[in-house]
Amino acid sequence: MAWGMRIQGIRAVWIGVCFAFVSTSGAQEFIGTRVESLEQSLQPELMGVESVALSDNWNAHVERVPNLGLSDEVKWIRIILDSRTENGMLIEIQNAGIDELTGYMICDEKVVASFERGGIATSQSESSLGTYPTFPIPLTECDEMTALFRLKSGKPMLLPIRIAGPREIIGDSHQRDVLFAAYFGVILVMLLYNLFLFFSVGDRSYLEYSLFILMVGGTQLVLNGYASHLQIQALPWLNLRITHFFGVFSGLTTIVFVQNFLRLSRYVPWLHKLLNFYFVIYLVAFVLAIFGQLVWSYNVINFCAAAILFCIPGSIITMRKGYAPAKYFLLAFTIFIIAVLVFVLKDTGVIPYNAWTFFALPLGSAIELVLLSLALASRINQLKKESAVAREEQLRISQLNERMVREQNNVLEERVKNRTVDLEEMNSTMRTTLEELQSAQQQLVQSEKLASIGQLTAGIAHELNNPINFVSSSAQSLRRDFEDLNEVVNAVKALEPGMDDIGSKVNALQAKLAQLDVDFTQREIEELLNGIEDGTMRTSEIVKGLRIFSRMDGDNFIQAQVNELIESTLIVLRSNLKDLATVQCHLAEDLPMVMCQPGRLNQVFMNIITNAAQSMEGPDREVDDNEVIITTALSESIGQSWIEVRVKDSGVGMSEGVKSQIFDPFFTTKPVGEGTGLGLSIVMGILRDHNAEVEVDSEEGTGSEFIIRFPL
Amino acid sequence: MINVLYLDDEAHNLTAFRAAFRRDFQVHVTTEPTEAVRILREQPIEVIISDQKMPKLSGVEFFELIMPDYPNPVRMLLTGHADIDAVIDAINKGQIYKYISKPWNESELKGLVQEASDLYHHRQGMASEGAQLMERMNEARLHSTRIQRLTEGQTELNADDTKEVARLAGEVTQLLGSN
Repeated sequence: MAWGMRIQGIRAVWIGVCFAFVSTSGAQEFIGTRVESLEQSLQPELMGVESVALSDNWNAHVERVPNLGLSDEVKWIRIILDSRTENGMLIEIQNAGIDELTGYMICDEKVVASFERGGIATSQSESSLGTYPTFPIPLTECDEMTALFRLKSGKPMLLPIRIAGPREIIGDSHQRDVLFAAYFGVILVMLLYNLFLFFSVGDRSYLEYSLFILMVGGTQLVLNGYASHLQIQALPWLNLRITHFFGVFSGLTTIVFVQNFLRLSRYVPWLHKLLNFYFVIYLVAFVLAIFGQLVWSYNVINFCAAAILFCIPGSIITMRKGYAPAKYFLLAFTIFIIAVLVFVLKDTGVIPYNAWTFFALPLGSAIELVLLSLALASRINQLKKESAVAREEQLRISQLNERMVREQNNVLEERVKNRTVDLEEMNSTMRTTLEELQSAQQQLVQSEKLASIGQLTAGIAHELNNPINFVSSSAQSLRRDFEDLNEVVNAVKALEPGMDDIGSKVNALQAKLAQLDVDFTQREIEELLNGIEDGTMRTSEIVKGLRIFSRMDGDNFIQAQVNELIESTLIVLRSNLKDLATVQCHLAEDLPMVMCQPGRLNQVFMNIITNAAQSMEGPDREVDDNEVIITTALSESIGQSWIEVRVKDSGVGMSEGVKSQIFDPFFTTKPVGEGTGLGLSIVMGILRDHNAEVEVDSEEGTGSEFIIRFPL
Repeated sequence: MINVLYLDDEAHNLTAFRAAFRRDFQVHVTTEPTEAVRILREQPIEVIISDQKMPKLSGVEFFELIMPDYPNPVRMLLTGHADIDAVIDAINKGQIYKYISKPWNESELKGLVQEASDLYHHRQGMASEGAQLMERMNEARLHSTRIQRLTEGQTELNADDTKEVARLAGEVTQLLGSN
């Protein structure tokens, strides 16, 4: 996995740190000091293998494990063998990641054997002994035996080389296999376990962890030379890059896992962002690997490996902020970093190289994975606890809310109750006010009625008093006239035929007639009788009109003749109108009766006709010119028969403003104290009760016309 | 006979009035105010009776109209209905002697006309008496002026003057003394 590669980055940091590690197995002797490498400037390919071996440009190494660095150039190394003691033994290069690796056994300047052991070698002449590339030292008798290796790789060429017998190599290989199998077993168990958890729990972090494990295990597999077991040689393109790919993906999965596990976005946002940056860089490494820039890709991956160091402060900060699972995380990573240290230190010879130290990395990785798994469980618990706490908090809040709502409700109820009481009080006050208003209105209507009755009384009194006056006076005068005439009649009665001095008596009678002015008296009698007749007729007419006008079946609807009502109203109004205007009536004959309240309709006509007459009142107007024209007619409109009454005057007229208000109660154009302003509003009320339509045409200065239509 | 003018827009009233009072008074009747003015001009009217409620002008208005030219005839207002505004107007503007309501009581009306006529004559008499008195006063003043002129600055009068002064003084005494 990526950790293996991170060694490169971490090496500089941790080198020199002492670590005590108890070895349980015999030390492996690396022969790094016997390894010589060739100067880069040579062109060995052109020179032939033998001449390369004989070149003078070999440099000896001093490290136990030589490091040829990271370069895509071809490297050459040689090892001078002791042909006597090392015959039949094997040279083992404990690096399975070298892409091209060819070993030549040169005996006395002659190549006696060559072996293709590179990771991408298409054909392997003999199977290598063990997991790592091994090269058998031939049993040839030579003065000088040299092993020459040609190496080329896109990965770092760290070369732990040893020379050992086949038994030992196979034994170690088996030991490694067993250990690795155990490790891989752990990996598989963890993988399956977490996958299972993911599918059963559905928590995303299990899937992330599973991917993380997969990549870690895969990387270890590849690094430890078990990639060949995956038959990867069949895919040379992938084979060249598989280490890089595992490096990139283990880095990516690590970043994702760490970010989510430590909840960095919440606890350490700056680190979260930094890891996002590394995520992008890893993708760059991936692209580089795809395009064959393997060395650059590896460098970038190494650069990214430093990101693991941030996990330590990151986990510490997270832990300090009270996130318990970070403890496991810190422990797991510390152990892993220690394992990395052990791995590095064994390469540098500070601690012995044996199976345990060799396996420090997989071991540390396994422990790490287990601990992380625990950490994950703890995290899940923590989340559960948190969600339980959150639920409790929510419950508490909702209970609190409920209580508050309940309290609020009580307050509201109280308030509503108070408001209701207030409203009821207000209602009763308003009802009282309304009653007062209604009674005031009734009083006003009543006073309006009384006012019109007063007006009427005056008019009617005048109308009645006139005929009564001349009738009674005429009667007395008639009596006197008749007395005069009786005198003459008696004188005539006294005359008898054959009377004496009849002539003088006739003369006296003549004188009497002349004295009494009988001719005049007779004319006068005629006139007086006419007056009495007329007066009696008028009186009875007025009385009849009054009866019609003030019919006190008032509020009952009965059939009545509109013309009759208008005529009676005019009789009652005659004296009031006398000094205001003349009235012209054009009453249609044979009008059908109307269902109405005659008493109230008379009030309507009286009001409108009086208004019409009053609109023409003025000092500069002649009564003869003031005409109120009353017309009645039968009309048809909108499929309905109507009786139409028009009252037209040539008075002052009304402005639009006045016209719009005339039916409003208390609106009046008369001076204060002369009108109640209720007349037309009462008229409107009465007409509404009759379903009558009212139309008012008026022009200022020209006059007004009221048109009332009664439906039939 | 007393000259009475009666103005009313109701012709029957006029007929009835004439029939009732023609035996007692010289009755003039008309329905038209203009005709009434003409009658006033031509007849020595003592009493004017007018109806209040008439189409063209009211009784009070009629009285107001004729007052400047004919102040002397006594005015009476006849009305069918006691209208307080008309009464106030009648008293303030028309200087009415009496207010009569219809229907009239014949004998009462007759008495009132007579009273009015008496008032008229009384006023006329007072006026002529006053005029006579004024005339005598003026004559007396004339005499006294002459006496003053004769006696002015004189300590002693001659016989003629003395006689003349005595005569004038006697005349003044006669003028002022007698009723």
